Amino acid sequence: MIDIHTHPVQIAELYDDDPNLTSAVRDVFGLYVEPQPLATYIGHLDEAGIDQAVVLPIDCTTAHGHTVVSNEQIAWLVERTDRVIGFASVDPNEPDAPAKLERAVKELGLVGLKLDPSLQQFAIDDPERAMPVYEAAAELGIPVLIHCGMSWAERGRTAMANPLLLESVVQRLPELRVVIPHMGWPWVGEALALALKHRNVYLDTSVLFSGTPSESLKHVVDVVLGHELIDRSIPRQVLFGSNYPRVDPKRAAWAVRELGFRPKLEQRIFHDNARDLLNIDGGA
Amino acid sequence: MQSIVTRFGIQTTKDTEFIDITERARELTRSSGVRDGLALVMTMHTTTAITVNEGLEDLEDDIAEMVARLVPAGAAFRHARFLHSDGQMAVNAPSHLRGALLGMQVAVPIEGGELVLGGRQTIYFVELDGPLYREAVLHTLGV
Repeated sequence: MIDIHTHPVQIAELYDDDPNLTSAVRDVFGLYVEPQPLATYIGHLDEAGIDQAVVLPIDCTTAHGHTVVSNEQIAWLVERTDRVIGFASVDPNEPDAPAKLERAVKELGLVGLKLDPSLQQFAIDDPERAMPVYEAAAELGIPVLIHCGMSWAERGRTAMANPLLLESVVQRLPELRVVIPHMGWPWVGEALALALKHRNVYLDTSVLFSGTPSESLKHVVDVVLGHELIDRSIPRQVLFGSNYPRVDPKRAAWAVRELGFRPKLEQRIFHDNARDLLNIDGGA
Repeated sequence: MQSIVTRFGIQTTKDTEFIDITERARELTRSSGVRDGLALVMTMHTTTAITVNEGLEDLEDDIAEMVARLVPAGAAFRHARFLHSDGQMAVNAPSHLRGALLGMQVAVPIEGGELVLGGRQTIYFVELDGPLYREAVLHTLGV
């Protein structure tokens, strides 16, 4: 089982050598709980049945003067435990962002790109700033997980994260694999439209707005999308994501299991689709 | 009269877990220097519990199933929303309610520097929303 979406912002060991991280996590990311040992993060994965989880940084240097966990810290975590898969983040508002991404992949060994237009405050379809970053990701052959939908961070600007803005990106770079987390909520229909049309557009299951994860996900999958839609139209494009620590991975996993999908589809969502996306063990 | 508060940490590893802290409470009581008085064992959290029962795995399972039956995970709770003060989803109402049923503390007499416990009595720290790093307190009060 693979969790495509965790933020390592509550891991105490990362705070030891980084006096700025507390401010980055509280003031930018908007998480106000005490850090926990790495053992707790691993315990969360164990309890949820997750073998490996993607850890996501966010480089908000231009917008907020902070990185919410740096690429180097992600590389440190990857070195520390084989339970995590490290993505990089670069700030599209910085001119050297494509070069930074190349270094993060080639020198630090990170295998994907995380962007958050609402927090990093760049236009998703900006041809001058964002497009060169997407082009670099396409050239490096790495997937991009780009926040879409409502941002729980106080400073996040939800309007900048409308998934429809990705359409020109995926049209220009059809080989680029793009993950839309949260199924784009509240723009679920828009996110779905892109996934239906473009096979390299993926959705993750971290739908959290009110109620339990089970209630939120069930509403979106059964009421908004229709229970059969994923199995019929996008069975290879839905990924399990928890969005830890906004919610516990165990509850995010329960939410997917409670949908009652047939075992083959559940296996794809929990594992196979992410394995192929990340080319783990050579993919399919 | 002495009043000594000692905090101690517990790394839990499961969603629901019974952790025997009897020996730890005995050692902390001895090291507190209180010979005669009272020891209060308390959790610092609202989704854990402190309870005393016979130290048997089957009873641990029975108690866990009892609280799960009384507070089913799938029921509709008001505490199921985003908690702005934490920046997290607050979706663990069953853990809170199960903790409320089991209680947050137990008091044990101290006699001659030792906890007064029956032969079948085990002090449990009960995790109800793990895994997490937790803290408990032993307060020894006496002479």
